[in-house]
Amino acid sequence: MSNIIEIKNITKEFKVLNRREGLKGSIKDLFSRDYKIVRAVDNISMNIQQGEIVGYLGPNGAGKSTTIKMMTGILEPTSGEILVGGNVPYENRAKNAQEIGVVFGQRSQLWWALPLVESFKILKDIYGVSDKDYESMIELYKSLVDIEPLLHKPVRQMSLGQRTLSDILASFLHNPKIVFLDEPTIGLDVSMKAKIRTLIHALNKEKNTTVILTTHDMGDVDALCQRIVIIDKGKMLYDNDIEHLKGFFGSYRTLKIRIDGDLKQLAEKIGSELPHFRVSADDEWISILVDEEKSKVIEVLSQLQKSYDIRDMKLEEISTEEVIKKIYEEGVK
Amino acid sequence: MNLKKYVTLTRAGIIESLQFRLGTLVIIAGNLLYLIVVYFLWKAIYASAGTDTVNGMTFSDTLIYLVLATALFNFMEMYIVWEMGRGIQSGKITLDLLKPMEYRRYMFWSYSGSFVTQFFFTFLPTFIVVAVVTHGAIHLGINLLFFVVSVIMAVSINYSIDFLVGTICLYTESIWGINIMKQVIVMLLSGATIPIAFFPEPLKTIAYYLPFQSIYNAPLSVLLEGNPAPQTLLTTLGIQLFWCIAMTVLSNLFWKASLRQITVNGG
Repeated sequence: MSNIIEIKNITKEFKVLNRREGLKGSIKDLFSRDYKIVRAVDNISMNIQQGEIVGYLGPNGAGKSTTIKMMTGILEPTSGEILVGGNVPYENRAKNAQEIGVVFGQRSQLWWALPLVESFKILKDIYGVSDKDYESMIELYKSLVDIEPLLHKPVRQMSLGQRTLSDILASFLHNPKIVFLDEPTIGLDVSMKAKIRTLIHALNKEKNTTVILTTHDMGDVDALCQRIVIIDKGKMLYDNDIEHLKGFFGSYRTLKIRIDGDLKQLAEKIGSELPHFRVSADDEWISILVDEEKSKVIEVLSQLQKSYDIRDMKLEEISTEEVIKKIYEEGVK
Repeated sequence: MNLKKYVTLTRAGIIESLQFRLGTLVIIAGNLLYLIVVYFLWKAIYASAGTDTVNGMTFSDTLIYLVLATALFNFMEMYIVWEMGRGIQSGKITLDLLKPMEYRRYMFWSYSGSFVTQFFFTFLPTFIVVAVVTHGAIHLGINLLFFVVSVIMAVSINYSIDFLVGTICLYTESIWGINIMKQVIVMLLSGATIPIAFFPEPLKTIAYYLPFQSIYNAPLSVLLEGNPAPQTLLTTLGIQLFWCIAMTVLSNLFWKASLRQITVNGG
């Protein structure tokens, strides 16, 4: 397998005007040359191989979109090297565009007023897809999802889920080497999410397309990604298999207990008694995230039993969501 | 150059603009109202002047000129500044930039479909009505051919100006004011609202040295002057060709420099 994306020490800095407050400040800003440099991406390196599905994660404002914009050729890195399919993307945007597909969950590249099939035909001609390849792609789509009813429906009349589905199909139409999916399941219902995950998985398998997926939905990550990359404040925090992720943070488990009384208050009290662990409460349960390297769940339970009347309990293995949340909040040690 | 992708975009534009039948009707109604205002306004101007001919133009000359200018405006106005500005504000421009095509071309061909529909729905009917009603005020001969050539160059100049102004939106991130200013300047200095013959002397000279008059004044004078001297015709078309090339180069350079600025410093 060969590297389809090679990124070496890329950094991206933006010049941002220092804004002042109030009307007076705004007027001063008109003439201001007072810029500060913001480093959105800070010395990131990674190699991605053909056919991988990589989950690209990070809290809001971490620099995910900036990295993706550099990979698509919209932004030029301040320093560092970037190669996508052997091309330098920002030097040859149009050529790079031929090799990639993009879906932004929030907006559509389809022709609003036209039936879906017209959008497909336009894209077919813009990307110079041959009739034969187009037909076989449509056949593949038909075998994967029920697109027949969508094909003749104007995009503006589609539901968000149908539109996202169509957008994903559109991004794969010219059989690109890489597809960037930016929050593809945002705002979708559970069944549509599942449908879209299955579709992405199938297209990746069928065409060996590399997929770079940014999302805030850990369900997407669990369903699709073998590998995840996490960045925050422009810096790379983690780049490894998803399996490795859970072990990486020690053996965490969530202990859930039920006690009579005001759970919020009790949770705060327990939190102060157990300073090493994160304690939270919902309507029914108090959850304690226990690091088993520090103390066993049984020990925590027996300690709590001394001072509280525990009605019920259950144990949960840590979810990807919990791990990611921990990384966002505390970073990697 | 693969022509197919451009034709596809034009075709899509035609289909798209045909979806909005009601919109077209409203535009036609709005134009009729505008023309009624123009009729009475100029009638009053000629009445107060007391002579049949003002600045070398009779009332019917002026009216024919303005009716055709309005029809031409409907056909040429692309609202590219709006479209670019909105794209920049909403971030949709990212998707357009990621098409395997140069953005400037992509935008032009995306909107070329509306040229075709507007030509058949507004310009051609207006032209026929004017030609029939005025009984031969429009000379129908070889000048039609020159007119077509002139209009094609006018479209190109108009697009370049729009694109240039749209590029400014990359810096300002606001569109309203810039677009209004552009519209006022172009409409006035191109002779779309008042024939350039009516301008006071210094302004007339300035207008002739600017690219705007090549958009409306030039094609209309080619069309309306029945038998122009070859010299005049060549000068008009020559100036248009000059602006056509100059504005294309200029808007292209400005766009490339701006885009680089944005990709380097972020937008």
